Amino acid sequence: MNVASVSRPSGCLKAALRRTRYQRACQRSFVTTPRAQAATPSPFSGRQRDDIARVSHFKVWPQVPSVRKTHPNPLPQLQAQQIAKLDPTGARTRMFSKLHLDSAKVGDVLMVTPNTGEPFAGVLMQIRRAGVDTAIQLRGQLMRTSTEMWYKIYSPTVSAIDIIWRRPKRARRSRLTYLRQPKHDMGNVDNLVFAWRKERFALRSKEKNKAMRGGR
Amino acid sequence: MPPRLPLRVALPRFHARHNAAATAIAIPARPCILLSHTPSRAVHNGWVTAPPRSKHARFNQPTAGVPAPTTGPAAALKRRERTTPLRTGVLATKKGMTAVYVGKNRIPCTVLQLDQVQVVANKTREKNGYWAVQVGRGSKDPRNVTAPQLGYYEAKGIAPKAELAEFMVRDEEGLLPVGLQLLPDWFQVGQYVDVKGNSRGMGFAGGMKRHGFKGQEASHGNSKNHRTIGSVGPSQGSGSRVFPGKKMPGRMGNESVTVQNLKVMAVDNELGTVLVSGPVPGPKGRTLKLQDSKKRKPPTQPHREKAVQALVERQPDHEEHLLAARLAHLEMKKQRQPDVGL
Repeated sequence: MNVASVSRPSGCLKAALRRTRYQRACQRSFVTTPRAQAATPSPFSGRQRDDIARVSHFKVWPQVPSVRKTHPNPLPQLQAQQIAKLDPTGARTRMFSKLHLDSAKVGDVLMVTPNTGEPFAGVLMQIRRAGVDTAIQLRGQLMRTSTEMWYKIYSPTVSAIDIIWRRPKRARRSRLTYLRQPKHDMGNVDNLVFAWRKERFALRSKEKNKAMRGGR
Repeated sequence: MPPRLPLRVALPRFHARHNAAATAIAIPARPCILLSHTPSRAVHNGWVTAPPRSKHARFNQPTAGVPAPTTGPAAALKRRERTTPLRTGVLATKKGMTAVYVGKNRIPCTVLQLDQVQVVANKTREKNGYWAVQVGRGSKDPRNVTAPQLGYYEAKGIAPKAELAEFMVRDEEGLLPVGLQLLPDWFQVGQYVDVKGNSRGMGFAGGMKRHGFKGQEASHGNSKNHRTIGSVGPSQGSGSRVFPGKKMPGRMGNESVTVQNLKVMAVDNELGTVLVSGPVPGPKGRTLKLQDSKKRKPPTQPHREKAVQALVERQPDHEEHLLAARLAHLEMKKQRQPDVGL
């Protein structure tokens, strides 16, 4: 409202009436009595209050128990069930477990004996951990040809996995794909297998003799 | 459309087979509106209570000596009767994949989890023209549910569901009481199932991915057109245009895909899982429809009977609960709309 125009004298009745009408309208909006304090402001917005009001007119029945609370992710338990079935003693799991110091590590030489077929020996290049589908990649030689083979450690067709030779120093990476280069290729590991077999046989015969002597 | 009964005849509100007890108790049925024999269809009234015109129901009925039509909903139901499953399916979530060893063989499996799966409603031939069971999954915050839906669930004694789907069944034997919770042991280990769901979305996919086009040469002078679609058709002779439906790049995936005849490998009520052999459409977290296979024999009758019995045994008071819910609904409705019905 222009203050100047209010105090400006006017001889016109129409203008005077207009002015008084305007002043009365303004006065109507002036508040002299203090308004009652608004109730503690609700933490909900208007839309939220509408939603709550709508729900309050209905009976909402309780939910049936949800599996999202008890088993939101059933996969680890299913994997554990399968592994328990396939590896009841836990020996296979222990052989590749990160928590055991005597586990097979990348860079060691392993020999896998399947149910049917010849044993395959090679350098352990990779361990792919995937629960029951955990698999190892060995690089060995088949008829003087370097070959890489994947084996699932929990497969029932894998009869035995033996550690033939342990790498003296820890490999500095988890996937030894550099072994594919001729410079680093370990080649044929039959000599290591032979040495392992000899030692094992010697140990076995020593045990047998001890048992026989103990029996006598 | 099946022939509609005139409103003169008071339609039974609930399906008699499951609610023998309910009908014995006096429930205020929908008001029976009595109309004159010749409902006027006068447009000047603005509205009519007579049923919509359905000419096909009045004439050429088989009772007149005319053969039954081979087209139409009734004929379609009859045609598909043999391949419609006997019983309802469930809604499940794809959780991931594992493997199961059967003897020496490794079988990759998908893990599907059932979460708060309940029978919400039944569709009948009389009212809806087909037999089906409406199944709900999960739960929804009631503040995010509309008032009509809140009333819908209030009358059934069920908490609001996140998703609903219908499963067609062959006949009224496949209908289930409202409110029963379906668990993984609904399926028999060794039976075959069909899994239906939306596939993974591939976004805007090119011709090679979307339609298997072979693309063009990688070298030999090809410039910047290794994966393009090449020619889009003939020239002036075919109208100087591209034919409608020409295979071109575009949005791919996120559409309904059914994988049939998957074997159920394992069932676990505690974890809520069903293991099916093979892959299913969609990414992890997708909701899928799981039902008995259409092209294989259904699970054995002893199992089907045992499964329904198990459902009822787990919730022996389901009928009373439903009745209480209906009465509560009528009470609440009167409070919400005191002027309606006067």
